[in-house]
Amino acid sequence: MTDDNHDRFDELLEDAARTYNRPPDERQMPLDEIWKAVEAQAFPAARQPSRYAQWLRIAAALVIGVGIGRLSLSTAVGRATTTRVAVIDTTSATATPTPVAVVPLPAQPLDPATSRYLGQAAALLIALPSETSAGRPDQPFMKRANELLLTTRLLLDSQSGSDPALRNLLDDLELVLVQVVRLEKERDRSRRTELELIQQALDQRDVIPRLRTAASEYAADD
Amino acid sequence: MTRTAFALQTTEKVNEPELIARVLAGDRLAGRELYDAHAPRVFRLAYRLTGDAELAREFTQDTFVRAFHRLADFRGDAAFSTWIHRITVTVVANAMRKVRRLRERETDLTDLDSAHPASGRDGARRIDPDLRERLAKAIDALPEIYRTTLIMHDLEGYTHTEIAGVLGVAEGTCKSRLSAARAQLRAALADFAKEYES
Repeated sequence: MTDDNHDRFDELLEDAARTYNRPPDERQMPLDEIWKAVEAQAFPAARQPSRYAQWLRIAAALVIGVGIGRLSLSTAVGRATTTRVAVIDTTSATATPTPVAVVPLPAQPLDPATSRYLGQAAALLIALPSETSAGRPDQPFMKRANELLLTTRLLLDSQSGSDPALRNLLDDLELVLVQVVRLEKERDRSRRTELELIQQALDQRDVIPRLRTAASEYAADD
Repeated sequence: MTRTAFALQTTEKVNEPELIARVLAGDRLAGRELYDAHAPRVFRLAYRLTGDAELAREFTQDTFVRAFHRLADFRGDAAFSTWIHRITVTVVANAMRKVRRLRERETDLTDLDSAHPASGRDGARRIDPDLRERLAKAIDALPEIYRTTLIMHDLEGYTHTEIAGVLGVAEGTCKSRLSAARAQLRAALADFAKEYES
């Protein structure tokens, strides 16, 4: 074989490097999807909460905190208008209630229906991460989310909505529930976008700074 | 020869022994980090060997699941990248034996050609589509050990040392396999000899 022939054969191999079973660009590889499957099999018990789930937990913590605060307030006599509340850290495996925040509360207790509603909302939001990690939330779950969203809006329009602390909470809760309800209709990719929107919206409403402020107030109070 | 260089060493950016220790302790995030460092190359190789996106995805997944399950067996004698590529090649070879209903190549070579024209680059001559097709079929028809070696070396740019580590053979064996693979390809393209002599 001549040198020219040899070069030509190498040229053919170079061409094969560009054309034979040519892999897609890295950006087009389904690496995230593959990871999800790997993770589910290799780390079944250690599934970390997504950023989205963490936001929802924050919302859930707010709901639980205020709910418990209301209950304690209803039994307290002559307490100040600031009540220490328990915020459940659902990121831990045991989900032990830990008092971490102080949330300003109004003097008068909530009516039983509103307290019940807050408890139901908390239960739904706490269950959401496991629902979404197992796949799309099921129909009863979404139905419940829709009902709670409706109740939230009714409360916002009612007397309860005149309480500034509760109104703020209901606003935040409405925002989260709207996103939850939307998840039903979204495919995975769009769902990710929705999660970004939740984050943006909660950012704009300063939920985290409010929590941090409350937490630091508690620490100082301790 | 200009090759697509994806040397195994380029993945060693992180402190892998530490990462591996964390994964063994159940740290999922460390697992993701390890995955991110190696998954693109594993996927590339699986794709090259199978020519099928779905199979490449399945085999990449299988590779990492096996790797994480057997991570405690990884002693660090070789680089982690060598170890994971060895698993990849084994997974693909075993699975392809079963899959072996070798489908007709569906790659739209015309599209590939227009996206990456072979002509006009450094004076390279345009490759006849028939010749390219013939070469692809000849690569498909190579014995698996030759084909894997040729794909890794000539198409993906692995060194003989790397391939020898992945396949668990001596470097000399690797070189002779590559030589044999090329010889078989030349023989398969003998009909086209005039074409690439001209």
